[in-house]
Amino acid sequence: MDSNASLIELRGVSKTYRKAGADVRALDDVDLSVARTGMLAIVGLSGSGKSSLLHIIGAMDRPTSGSVTVTGQPLDAVPESALAGFRLRTIGFVFQGFNLIPNLSALENVMLPLEFAGVAPKERHDRASALLVRVGLGTRLKHRPSELSGGEQQRVAIARALANDPPLVLADEPTGNLDSKTGQMIYGLLREVSLERTVLVVTHAEALAQMATRVVHLKDGRLETKS
Amino acid sequence: MIAFGLRNALRSLPRFALVAALIGVPFFLLLTLHAIGRAVDAYSERLLHGVNDTLQIRAAGSMGHLNMVAQSDILQQRIFDRVGQLPHVAKVEPYLLAMTPTEGHNFAMVVGVEPGDARRLESHGEAGSPRIIAGRDLMDSDRGNRVAVIGQGFARWARIDAGNLAGAELTLDLRRTHPVIFALDRPATKLSIVGIYASGYVFGDMQLFMPLDTFREIYGVPRGVSWLFVKADSAANVPLLEQRLRTEFGSEADVVAPVSAAEFQTTTARAVHRLTAAGMGISALLLAVVVYFVMLLVVRQRAREIGTLKAIGAPNRSIVAAFLFEALAYALTGGMLGLLSLLALGAPVAQKIFGPAIGPFVPAQYKDTLLQVLSISTGVDAERMTILVGAVALTALAGSAYAIVQITRLSPLQAMKHG
Repeated sequence: MDSNASLIELRGVSKTYRKAGADVRALDDVDLSVARTGMLAIVGLSGSGKSSLLHIIGAMDRPTSGSVTVTGQPLDAVPESALAGFRLRTIGFVFQGFNLIPNLSALENVMLPLEFAGVAPKERHDRASALLVRVGLGTRLKHRPSELSGGEQQRVAIARALANDPPLVLADEPTGNLDSKTGQMIYGLLREVSLERTVLVVTHAEALAQMATRVVHLKDGRLETKS
Repeated sequence: MIAFGLRNALRSLPRFALVAALIGVPFFLLLTLHAIGRAVDAYSERLLHGVNDTLQIRAAGSMGHLNMVAQSDILQQRIFDRVGQLPHVAKVEPYLLAMTPTEGHNFAMVVGVEPGDARRLESHGEAGSPRIIAGRDLMDSDRGNRVAVIGQGFARWARIDAGNLAGAELTLDLRRTHPVIFALDRPATKLSIVGIYASGYVFGDMQLFMPLDTFREIYGVPRGVSWLFVKADSAANVPLLEQRLRTEFGSEADVVAPVSAAEFQTTTARAVHRLTAAGMGISALLLAVVVYFVMLLVVRQRAREIGTLKAIGAPNRSIVAAFLFEALAYALTGGMLGLLSLLALGAPVAQKIFGPAIGPFVPAQYKDTLLQVLSISTGVDAERMTILVGAVALTALAGSAYAIVQITRLSPLQAMKHG
């Protein structure tokens, strides 16, 4: 794949952790290119290194070796102090546990990244409302996470991930805490989102992963399937 | 993020109330100790007022106590009359003094003063203006009447109840003697006690003040005075006036510059100040420790949220601002609680608890009585609000500093794992 056309480029990425006095190789010489739109599912068993890969792509962790380029920006050239800004502009995160702020309403949760980006209050409100309407929560704007179902909370999290219109959405086991029907609905939503940006989903649910436009498998830190 | 931080403080109302109470207690201590320090300052100022610009004249070699063995010589009336005509003299206050036995080897002082003049306390140098704690002070209309105000110690000895002064009387028996008091061949006299004062020290509370005219009549002293307090027109002119008084009356009178009283009071005030400052320091430390532990707990409990905020791109300054404002909300509420407690309980707590607590650290003659004479101000004023706001800000900053360092050091991944 031409790197100019890729949103994400990983070359020889390895990650080694020190755990209980021993080195654990979470990622081993991973090469990966991801297109600018579409949904990529990274599938693997627990401990296969898929979350490590997601964290490295999401600028939350650094590789031990190799290079990572996201939206043309080599991440090793981005200083620690600028990583938060990079994530804010470039990446939307969706977590397995939703990770919403419990004392904020759905609307306020979605407005948070906009506030960090310095968007004016009125625009924040309008954009966050529109996103929640888009994910089907137009009537639940004022509800707090505890007043929403798991599926609704994950939809709020997806709306939050889209708040700053990032080119990349990273989802870490987004259906791990949901029943299969709700999981399918969330995947459907992510699939829809991926029409205009890249959605990278980490999962161990093979069946749901098949909804993605591309699936790669990780085993013992190495990519098994490249398609 | 300011509103976010403030809302975070209110996530759990019971916890918010508990934290506010935990912070409120040291705030109350801090404000009360500050109030005591301020009251001591005001008291010192009151005592020292009239010392810096005042000289005392007594008969040469005599204490001027009418019935004290070898100390009964008094100043002649002509000296009183003359002093008032000297340059740089702003006011002359005549005193007549006698002693009266109480029990054992103890005695009390009986003083005649012009109503309206400063009531300086014997044995405490010449400073002081005691505070009326029951009844009323002497008035111009009391001249010549058999009325008196009495120190609380003397009143206790005479079984005079401060809560019920109606009909309170004290009999002065001028024939009673004591190792240093000789009898005066004068009839016993009943005095109506119209007020009780507190002086701030034990000796000062064993004293009685009556109008000068009344004293003259009871003790049969139509002329002359025990002491004259000569107030100069300015403190700068005191040396000049002292020189003039010595020149004019040096052969028959002692001129005393009452600096010892000032020094004594300053020393005592300094001791109390050290105690209150130490107490305020400990209170401030307690405040910071409470906020420190609360914020540490809050950061640990919300580590996952911190990680999430960092992951979605929150800059450290925004997260820090939220936690700082949460700490400020705790500290401010605790501070307001402390202030309200001061308004409601400051004066009685200062009297009942801090008085005995401070007692052992001040000179013996102040023990137990110092706090009684202090007017503990518990109102809201600019100085108190400045201290409150300053302590709130410092407490929030100092107490949350470590938590803030932790927040900034945590990577999003670490934070989410801890959560």
